[in-house]
Order: sequence, then structure tokens, then C-alpha cells
Amino acid sequence: MMMLYRTASVALLAAAVTIAPAAFADPIRVAASTSNMAMLTQEIGGEHVDVTTMAPPDRDAHYLEARPSMMAALRRAELLVSVGAELEEGWIPAALRGANNPAVMPGRSGYFEAAAQVELIGKTHHADRGRGDVHPMGNPHVYLDPMRMAEVGHALAHRLSEFRPQHRETFRANAQAFADAVEERMPKWQERVADAPGVLLFHENIDYLMERLDVPIHGFLEPLPGVPPTGRHLRSLVRDLQGERGVTIFADFEPSRGAEFIKRELGWEYFSLPTHVPIGGTAEDYFEVIDALVEAAASG
Amino acid sequence: MRSTDTLHRHATKRRWPLAVTLAAWPLALLTLSSAYAQMPQDRAASHPHLEAHQQHLGGAPAGRASSEQVGAGTLMNPLISVIFDGVYANEFSGHIDDPGGFEMGHDHGDNGHDHGFEDGFQLRETEFAFEATVDPYFDAFAMLVIEGTDTIDLEEAYFTTRALPWGLQIKGGRFLSNIGYINPFHPHDWDFVDRPLVSEHLFGDHGLQDTGIQVNWLAPTLTYLKFGVEALQGDDDGMLTKYGHSAGPNLMTAFAKWGPDLGFDHAAQLGLSAGYGTIWEDEERHSTDMELWEDGHSWFAGLDAVYKYTPPRSYQGAGQLTLQGEWFYREISADYIVYSHTERDDGSWRFGEGRGDPDNINSAVTWQQDGMYLQAVYGIAPRWRAGLRAEALGLLKNQSHNHRTAGPNCYDEFDTSYRYSAVVTHYPSEFSFVRGQLSYSDFAADEPGGPREDAWQFLVQYNLSLGVHGAHTF
Repeated sequence: MMMLYRTASVALLAAAVTIAPAAFADPIRVAASTSNMAMLTQEIGGEHVDVTTMAPPDRDAHYLEARPSMMAALRRAELLVSVGAELEEGWIPAALRGANNPAVMPGRSGYFEAAAQVELIGKTHHADRGRGDVHPMGNPHVYLDPMRMAEVGHALAHRLSEFRPQHRETFRANAQAFADAVEERMPKWQERVADAPGVLLFHENIDYLMERLDVPIHGFLEPLPGVPPTGRHLRSLVRDLQGERGVTIFADFEPSRGAEFIKRELGWEYFSLPTHVPIGGTAEDYFEVIDALVEAAASG
Repeated sequence: MRSTDTLHRHATKRRWPLAVTLAAWPLALLTLSSAYAQMPQDRAASHPHLEAHQQHLGGAPAGRASSEQVGAGTLMNPLISVIFDGVYANEFSGHIDDPGGFEMGHDHGDNGHDHGFEDGFQLRETEFAFEATVDPYFDAFAMLVIEGTDTIDLEEAYFTTRALPWGLQIKGGRFLSNIGYINPFHPHDWDFVDRPLVSEHLFGDHGLQDTGIQVNWLAPTLTYLKFGVEALQGDDDGMLTKYGHSAGPNLMTAFAKWGPDLGFDHAAQLGLSAGYGTIWEDEERHSTDMELWEDGHSWFAGLDAVYKYTPPRSYQGAGQLTLQGEWFYREISADYIVYSHTERDDGSWRFGEGRGDPDNINSAVTWQQDGMYLQAVYGIAPRWRAGLRAEALGLLKNQSHNHRTAGPNCYDEFDTSYRYSAVVTHYPSEFSFVRGQLSYSDFAADEPGGPREDAWQFLVQYNLSLGVHGAHTF
């Protein structure tokens, strides 16, 4: 009988020893809106975060709809990391409403928008829908500017520290490492596009990178943000850009028809490129995404 | 000693209801306080200006992170949107009447506003939606609908909690019930111009829309699993018919939804729902007698399923497929009584004494009806969607007490009604659409054994959203 007790208590102790570190190591459960935000969270959080990506990398985060799986992810999350500035307006608010989790509501420490941490480009004081799918508070696609991403990384390190103060130094060091990696690559990217004649973009998203690298932007295939290219708009682009040199760059989920027309009329090469890392992607994958966009701009 | 003990026990027993009442209060307080515990406590989140100040002083790039939402407009005001919905209808062959066994507004006294379309132009409805966060504890939503030009209907006015712990949420006020799939959606969210027959004829012109309270719980599971119960007053005529006054709530419903995680390309949700109505009464007057259905009750149960496919790199809806279907079954039980009556000399009616002929009293009769629809909608091009819908009413059972012919039952058996629709919708932007729909109805006769009626109808609809309107759930 005594033996049995001893065995039982040893087993209990063993269980406690196994479980306790697990509980201590308890990663922060993060629901990231896009794979780029998941990448940044993973880079900063390391082993102390458990990240779920809600939106696939090969689809426009603008046109998704709230799905049960997103609500399930938000229900269990301690932290929501989104791009913000209304990029995910079509689905995050609805998914939050169905997630019954007050901890990740806007205004709480569990709510984090990248766009809220940095200065946005393209702010406008004229917000009527006649101008297309405008974002009066600014262009939300901050994830395509590595410098801004580094800045977001610092803010995210700070936020993660609020959840697990014991790992503050790790988060800070990881954010610094990401920022250093960006700093190291910046001169190379700038040099690559120093003589780039300029680019034509599909949507106001890649302009974040082009503005950062001072690449001239000749225009957008969309007549208005969110409105598919029209023949009239494409013809006016061709008229304006006759005799100029450049390339057309657009995200892999955007249609290529407009760019094909530009190529026929102006001879401009076009590039359909990913703007997001694959699911589970790392900083290296992110820099490859940027590298490819830079190379495309440089090839003009 | 013994007697004191007994006395004591007796006293304790008597105080039970009081003890329950007293115990209920700490429980309520606990719930509220835990809700409060979930409130923002970090200073940065609740005082952005403070954070900005610190950032300014510190000047470090690693400033305290902001929790603010970057968005248009001022968040203090309700989001307001106005939705225009206009329809042009043309019934170019045959005539659409109520499907047999589903007579609406027959002898119910509410000289019905009928949601069938008149030939020609009509403003079906203009929706005014208001939405805001009330305080840290509540969100609220109201939708006023002007039907045509002169009828105002308070479609919804409800609050939802935003700070309850443990995955709980309470919704209260007037709202569209979450039973089934399409029920909580407003007309501007439908893929077809009109409401599915089963929704219209089992639950009413607005679906199951009622006043009451809902509690729902989202399980902390990897896949989406939600349960909810609703206690409703029972104003809904489709589900409950009642005369006189009776204390509510008279309708209880429950639902469960399960959404397996099928990756990024596929999504699905399966739902189960059921409801029980405690009151069901009706009457029908004839020249020689009056039929009464008394002390009745009703219940329904339904299944709903939706599947959505989004191909990789889909651009503005192209290639997206949505399959959706619902099936509902309803049973009504009531005591059936016939009063005989004769006309007095002055023209008024004199009812038979007592409860008529005992042979005509048939207690606790039950009758059943069901209905379903299946639809598929496909993104044929960016911003273009085309769809097909097949519907059946009274598929397994179509027994109705209305329009009955003389017979031993208090109900009649009707045939099945069918309707088939094809639709094409173009979305110039996220905020507008133009739609064309062709429908063929093949309806059962409104008298048992009568001739079926079929009709062709063509509908054109436009729908415009002005202002800021919240995103829609799956």
C-alpha cells in the first residue's frame, strides 16, 4: 500500500515536472491577418509565440470574407496582429463580432495594427466613394516597405513584452535583428534601382516600396483604387507614357490583362510577383519577396 | 430538542427561495466583475495620448505600441448606412398565388402586406442602418426599413455584449433569429432577389424576426463550434398564431453551428436548429359553423449547410463557388373544435351552446409541413456572379388547416410546390449591384385536388449602399 502511494506521488511529481515548464513556456497565441504579419510576429516572438495565419498569401486581403475558421482562431487568440488601416475591413470586424473574445477587440492590448504604428502614405482629405475604394486614413499596404516593417517590429516587440515580460529582452533583440537585416539590405536595393526608369503598378500597394527606394511611379492600371482597369484608362496611360521606358509590376493575385495591353502598346515588360511570404515564411522569404520586386523595377 | 431541530429545518426549507435569490446576486456580480476584469488595463491602450507623449519624450523608435484602430470617420458616431433596393417585376406567363397549403394572411385579421412583387417598378425597401459601440460593454445595431414609401418597420434594434468572458455573448432586443443560414441576413445580402419560399412561408415575410434575448457560446476549439439559445416573445406570425393576450416568452429556439477548417480554398458551415412555440391558435368562420384550433403548440427543426470555394489568386470574386441549402420541418398540434351557429333575426351570429357536437371535438391533432432550397452561385468573371436555385415546399409533408374541405381531419393534404430560379448579378463596386432573375413557379393548388398553377416571372433589382456598413459574417 505504502509502495503504491510512493509510486503515485512519484508519478504525480514527474507529471508536475513535465507540465510545469510547458506551462511556463506557454507561447502567446497570436492570430495574424496575413502571412507577412505572421512572419513578422514569428521573427520577433521566436519560440514564445504560436501564430495562426488567417488569410492566404495569394489572395487580396481586401476582398476576403469572415469565415468560421477565422472566428475560431480569434476566439483562442491572446493577440490579433493585422495590417490595419481598413485593409481587412471586409472581414476582421465581422470575424471579431463572431469570435466572442473581448481580449482582441480594438482598443485592447490584444489588438495590434501595423498601420497604427507608422506614418502612412496617401492620406487624403477627400473621401467619397466616387473616388473608388479610398482609404482616407492612408494607404494600408505598409508591409511592402521593409523600413516601416522594421519599425512595426519594434512596436510589436513592445506589445509581446506586455504579454510575457520575462522575454522582453528576446523580443527586443529579435526586433533589432530584423531591423539590422533591413538596414543591411537597403543600400543594395537602392543601388539596384538607382537608374530604374520607373514603374507602372496595378494597385496602390507596391508604391510603398517604390517610394522608399525613390523609383518613379508612372501610374496605376486601376483607374481608381479597387476598380478594375478599363480600356479607356489603359489607352490614356499609353498616350501619356508613349516613348517612355519602364516596367509594369503587380501582385500575383491581380489580373495580367491590363499589363499585357501595356506590353503590346508600349513594349513594357510586366512582372506578376508575390507580395506576401508563403505560410510559415521567414524574414529570408520576406527579403526574397522584396528582392524580386526590386529586380523587376531595376530591369526596366 | 427534537422539535427545535424540526422547526429549524422547517425554517430553512421555507427560506429556500430567498436563499436562491440571494445566491443569484453574487453570481450576477461575479459575471459582471469578470467582464470588468477583461477591460483594458494597460495604459497605452486606454490612453493613446499618454503613449504619444511618452514616445515624444523618449524619442526611441521602440515607442510604446499603440492599440488604436486606424479608420475613417469618427468612431464616436454610429456608422450610418442607407441601402436602396428597387425591383422591376414582370410576370409574363401564368399567375403566382400562394403555394397550396401555405396560405398567408388568410382570415388572420392582419390584412397582410404581401411581399409578392407587383408587375412594374417598386421600391421594395429602403434600409436605414445604425451601428455603434455603446460603451465598453455593449455594441448596438438598429435597422429601420421603409417598405415601399409609407410603411416603416423596425427590422432590428438590438445590443450585443462585447466584454463577457468565457466565449459568451448575449444579444437582446428585436433581432433576426440565428436559426438556419439565411434567416439573419438582410435582403441586400441575398444572392437572389427574393427570400427562399421555406423561409417566407414557415417563418414569415421577414423570416423569424422577434423580440427577446439570445445567449451564444463559441467553444475554444480549433474548429469553429457555436451554440446558442433564444427566448423570444413570439410575435412572429409564421411560427405562432395566437388570439387574445398571453404572457411571453412563447418561442424558444436553439442552434448549433460547426465550421470545419478546410484550408484557405474551402470553407464550410453546418448548422442545426430547432424551436418550440408554446401558443398556437386559429379560427376559421364558415356560414354554418366556426372551426377553432385551440391550446396548440408548434415545433420546428432544420438543417443548414453552406460550402464556399475560392480558387487561389481569385480576383474580385471570379471563380468563387458557393453552395447553400436549408431544410425545415414544422409540426403543429392543437385541439380542434367546431362551433355550430345560426343567424339571429337581427343579422348577428348566435354561436352554438357549449362546444358544439362532441363528435367534432378532436383533441390534440397534429399536422406537419416542410420545405427546402438548394442554391449554387458562381463567380463567372470578376464582379459577376451567376446562380441557380431549386426550391420545394411541402416536400415530405404538406398538411394545412387552412382552406380545408369537409373531412374527418382538421387539416388537409396538399401537393408539393416547386420554384426554380436563375440569377445573374453584376457588382460595379463593393457598394452596388444590379441583378436579373428569372423564376419558374410550379405551385400546388390552394384547394386539395385543384389544378396546379405555374408562372414565369422576370425580376430586375438594383441595390446601392450609401455610407459605412459593417462587414457581414459568413
